[in-house]
Amino acid sequence: MPAATTATTDTTHVDIAADRVAKIYAQAIVDAADAAGQRREVLADLGMLARDVLPQVPEAEAVFASPKVSPEAKAAMIDRIAKDRLQPTTLHSLHVLARHGRLGILAAVVAAAERLADERDGKRQAVFTTAVPLAAAEQERIVGETQKALSVALVATFVVDPAIIGGLVVRVGDTIYDQSVATSLARLGGRLQERNIHAIQNGEYSWHS
Amino acid sequence: MAQLTDEIASVLREEIVRYKSGIDVREVGRVLEVGDGIARVWGLSGVMAGEMVEFPNGITGLAFNLEENSVGVIILGDYLKVTEGDEVKSTGRLLSVPVGDAVIGRVLDPLGNPLDGKGPVVTELRRPVETLAPGVAERSPVREPMQTGIKAVDAMTPIGRGQRELIIGDRKTGKTAIGIDAIINQKNSGVKCFYVAVGQKDSSVAVAIDTLRKYGAMDYTTVIVSGASTAAPLQYIAPYSGTAMAEHFMYNGQHALIVYDDLSKQATAYRQLSLLMRRPPGREAYPGDVFYAHSRLLERSAKLSKELGGGSLTSLPIIETLEGEVSAYIPTNVISITDGQIYLQPDLFFAGQRPAMNAGISVSRVGGAAQTKAMKKVAGGLRLDLASFRELEAFAQLGTDLDAATQQRLDRGYRMVELLKQGQFAPMDTVDQVLSIYAGTRGHLDDVKRDEVADWEKGFLTFVRDQVPELRKRIDESKELDAESERQLEAAIAEFKRQRAAKTGGEAKQFAGAR
Repeated sequence: MPAATTATTDTTHVDIAADRVAKIYAQAIVDAADAAGQRREVLADLGMLARDVLPQVPEAEAVFASPKVSPEAKAAMIDRIAKDRLQPTTLHSLHVLARHGRLGILAAVVAAAERLADERDGKRQAVFTTAVPLAAAEQERIVGETQKALSVALVATFVVDPAIIGGLVVRVGDTIYDQSVATSLARLGGRLQERNIHAIQNGEYSWHS
Repeated sequence: MAQLTDEIASVLREEIVRYKSGIDVREVGRVLEVGDGIARVWGLSGVMAGEMVEFPNGITGLAFNLEENSVGVIILGDYLKVTEGDEVKSTGRLLSVPVGDAVIGRVLDPLGNPLDGKGPVVTELRRPVETLAPGVAERSPVREPMQTGIKAVDAMTPIGRGQRELIIGDRKTGKTAIGIDAIINQKNSGVKCFYVAVGQKDSSVAVAIDTLRKYGAMDYTTVIVSGASTAAPLQYIAPYSGTAMAEHFMYNGQHALIVYDDLSKQATAYRQLSLLMRRPPGREAYPGDVFYAHSRLLERSAKLSKELGGGSLTSLPIIETLEGEVSAYIPTNVISITDGQIYLQPDLFFAGQRPAMNAGISVSRVGGAAQTKAMKKVAGGLRLDLASFRELEAFAQLGTDLDAATQQRLDRGYRMVELLKQGQFAPMDTVDQVLSIYAGTRGHLDDVKRDEVADWEKGFLTFVRDQVPELRKRIDESKELDAESERQLEAAIAEFKRQRAAKTGGEAKQFAGAR
């Protein structure tokens, strides 16, 4: 079970065009990995590259994205870095991306590939937001209960956000199940306001000081 | 003070006790980009076309375009308050507006929010803005007349309850005036009126509202305003929300009249939205479904069958043409949708013929079915006569000698034209209209000087009202002009002419004596 991390699904800034292209490459990569029977290994390789290696060497990202560096040079670079260290399918995927000048969106491709793999496994990404960090046992219990309630397998991510005050917010895909104290308070406030506006409109307003 | 805190505390307690803690389930997306009244939203994968969505700050939007990776939303409200990254919630509801008696007499925006400073619209009744038009089985033929109080319209292009009659013409030809006059004339008819101002100058709308108020028409009228400075999405939905408010009365067995002023501006707003949403442009850059936008709107005007209460919704859409170009895209579309058109021409307007209706190309496809028997009898053939008179007049201008019969037709035509002139905000009673037009079409005005026709008419109507009220009553009650009424009317005209001659003769004598 993953520990509490910061939100990995940052949906504030989305590049639709890149997302669209990434989906196509992701499908090809997952298909190829499936054909080789190495889906898990390939995804692990790619995930490691995109999440652990690249952030450490920001220059590499710039080189990958730059159209000034020729595809051949990028391919040679990939061979030097990855040959013998990564799965052959991973290597081929990287070569294909390099040849088409798409290495710059590697992170998006990897994310899309992981989503696709989860989807094929019948799993869905879920983000659990709580006000305070939870113990591993609690996390497990919550995920289990949620899986039972929604009757779907979940890949859980835990996020801590004190702004929700208390309770739990679960996001699965685009749907949010919100039982946070903040939302309940907002609803209560809205209801009070609405009721009093109604009372004023109907002339039933009775508060005299 | 202590009492106040106690009261507040008790209300709070009550509210908390009653509060049912439920899970708030919502589907969300995020705003990717926003501008010019539209937003592109990422996520919202389960949203349906036309569904209402909610931005933060309570701004609503409408899912307009569903694309592979994003949703195009039109923002109904202040789009400057929506920013990139905002959370968008789907609501699972359709856009609706308040309806019923609470909206009568109000000035509202297209979402039903008050603009007249008279406080909130207090009603529980709401109706979706977009609904399906009644089907074939739910309708009955248009039969009852919808009197506009304008002689030229009621006599030549009669409008029935449930009809859609287009008012079309260049700018400044009196299009709005016809709509406003029609509303003013509904004063005692029980017809609820709706004036939808789309893309109009706020100053003109203020004048229209002031006029309606002055003539006591605001007691039964709702004005829906989406001025030239409001965002295109609101201008686009204004006619639909006005129709929703009017439909409420139709489905409750009552009658309603709605004036869309004007649909060319709405089409322009829709074009803007569609282009921003990157829908492919068609003719004149309008989207392909601009015809459907108007047809589904105007189809909602109907006369309902008896089983459904027999209510009706009459609509008077207005279209502004450029340089009289009726074959432009939007005018041809709306002409083909409506049941006839009143065509207003600038040259007639400036020649002093007001309303400047061109009798030749103005038609009402419902026609005589929507007239009282009396009106049908006196006005039958009037439109064609007047149209042929216009042709004859053009011919006579060549200066050729005319035979007596032609000259006589010309004289009759000139007098009919004079008779059909009518001041603004002066709608006329149906019986008065019948009396006037009878006198004109039966040639009783042929010996009256052209510039005295208006005076003669006024005098005659006063004469009938004062001296032969039983004739008026008879026509008013029977709604027809039988032989007996006709005989009485002939006698009345003869008597009036005698009195008038005596009076003017007397005046002439006096004048001569003074000299």
